[in-house]
Amino acid sequence: MNRVTKARLFTIFRYAMLFIWSVIVAFPIFWIVSTSFKPDWEWHAWPPVYWSKEASWVNYQAVWGRPESPRTATEEKTQTARYESASANKPWQALWNSLYIAITATALSVAFGAILAYGVSRYRILSEIRMFQLLVLRMIPPIVVAAPLTLYYSAIHLMDTALGLVIVYFITTLPYSVWMTKSFVDEVPVEIEQAAEILGATKWQAIREVVFPLIRSGIVATFLFILILTWSEYLLSLMLSKVDVVTLPVQLAKYEGSDEGRVYGHQAALAVGITLPLMIIGIFIRKHLVRGFTFGMVKR
Amino acid sequence: MATATIAQPKGRRSTRARGVRVFKWSVLSPLILLFLFLMPVFLLQIYFSFHSWTVYLSTWFDAEYVGLELFQEVLGEERFWNAMGRSLLFAGLSTLGCFICGFALALLMYRPFKGQAFFYILFILPMLTVPVVIAYTADMLLYEKGPINGFLSYFLPGDLSKFTWLSNPNFAIFTIILLEVWNWTPFVFIIMLAGLSSLPTEPVEAARILGASRLQIFREIQLPLLRPVIFLALILRFLEAMAEFPKTWGLIQGGPGTATETIPIYLYFTTWVSFDISKGAAMSYVVMVIMIFIVLTAIYVLRREKRALDALHETSRTEA
Repeated sequence: MNRVTKARLFTIFRYAMLFIWSVIVAFPIFWIVSTSFKPDWEWHAWPPVYWSKEASWVNYQAVWGRPESPRTATEEKTQTARYESASANKPWQALWNSLYIAITATALSVAFGAILAYGVSRYRILSEIRMFQLLVLRMIPPIVVAAPLTLYYSAIHLMDTALGLVIVYFITTLPYSVWMTKSFVDEVPVEIEQAAEILGATKWQAIREVVFPLIRSGIVATFLFILILTWSEYLLSLMLSKVDVVTLPVQLAKYEGSDEGRVYGHQAALAVGITLPLMIIGIFIRKHLVRGFTFGMVKR
Repeated sequence: MATATIAQPKGRRSTRARGVRVFKWSVLSPLILLFLFLMPVFLLQIYFSFHSWTVYLSTWFDAEYVGLELFQEVLGEERFWNAMGRSLLFAGLSTLGCFICGFALALLMYRPFKGQAFFYILFILPMLTVPVVIAYTADMLLYEKGPINGFLSYFLPGDLSKFTWLSNPNFAIFTIILLEVWNWTPFVFIIMLAGLSSLPTEPVEAARILGASRLQIFREIQLPLLRPVIFLALILRFLEAMAEFPKTWGLIQGGPGTATETIPIYLYFTTWVSFDISKGAAMSYVVMVIMIFIVLTAIYVLRREKRALDALHETSRTEA
């Protein structure tokens, strides 16, 4: 077997393997999207319906639409039952909660993280070992402090408030924001900053006019990366919210039909709504994901 | 790591040092204040783990002092140790699974080929989903009359509409592990891909010229150079898997029976389903001690490997 045949065989092998993995990755995603368009009798059908011939927006209307909206023509024709419950019309509330809690916590975390990271990178205000100890905040499972945290929050009236969630999200994402922004600041040579200062810029001007523009895209990447984490957080939100600040992941669990199990179509319609923005953000910052997940230790 | 030290007249240097000190404490003090604000959480935890209290008692102060009894109860309990074993099994096997799949994909993909960008985007999608969504999707997929069984019944003989992925106590934990692998293979994949593509090319070229085979090059050159990245991926993945909660809880709540009850699930169950706050607090302590031990070991290794990695980045930069 010569080299050319070998290379060709490897190419075939590569595409075959990648194709198999593509199916594994894509099938669940395809399924949830397709379920979100199915009418209710196809949710539990055997043999399963892969491609619904009666696809419609009914589930989306049921989840995201106004509960008092009149039944649509499709609904009337297909006699679709509506699963209305106390959770009706709550997705918008949950979406709003998710949005402003995630954005506030992320913005705080990144702003603070960036300042701290600058100090660490330039003046070592935290030693290397302290930086590693900071990781403990992320690595200890949050469930171990959850019970006393809940009681403490109830005692000081932070239970079921946005502030309460913002505080815990801020703390648990801080290791990521500090480490990730530090890896960006480290890449800006000190010499540039010093040159600016020698030319008469103040420290603050040097930071604002020289360092910040160079790390801006890094800051944006960090912001979006942490937004992914806070957006999809489930456990803390489940325990620290009751009614007012229920976020989207917690809201998803509330679609349970009373008699025939889970209301698949509605869950799917909501799930697509939760996941889509996340995937778009993730694909947008795909080059920086490695840096994020490894605390800036691995770079591309 | 570069530190800014500029040679300057003595007077200015000391003002500068003071400026840095002021800066340091104005950054760190809000953080310290925040921790002080949360300090009562840990005090409460100590209080509850030494006093027997459940939510059925009206006030916290009614709790009866029981000394180390709760700790003895937790440490002597078979269910706790089973959960711990299951957690380690779950984290260990899923880390291994993610690593094998992720590394294999990275090896297939690190050299440029047609469609590389497309496959990269497709393959990172699983980690860009919300874990709870994965739980509910898995419920739809693995349901006895669901599409996975439907799909498999094209290839396998027999009626698969009875095969249960979730209610078979011996198999359920592996279902959860498979989900974790599906979810987090991209994590290992992107790390290993970055690691492989930033390897210095000279050693590989040199070895090829000296007549080394592909396998030899991989085992004796690439693998040792990749060691820091591999350790990093394994450690971070293992720790995250130890804390995995949303998928397991959203899908089967630790059931059937206690077949998938890992440590986070059992803790949640004790505190929020049985409302046994005190036992939960004591258990949290035990788990925290074990986890701190694991995390500190992990951090020790991470520090060592990060130094190796930085050195590697340094050499590949000077080469370029």
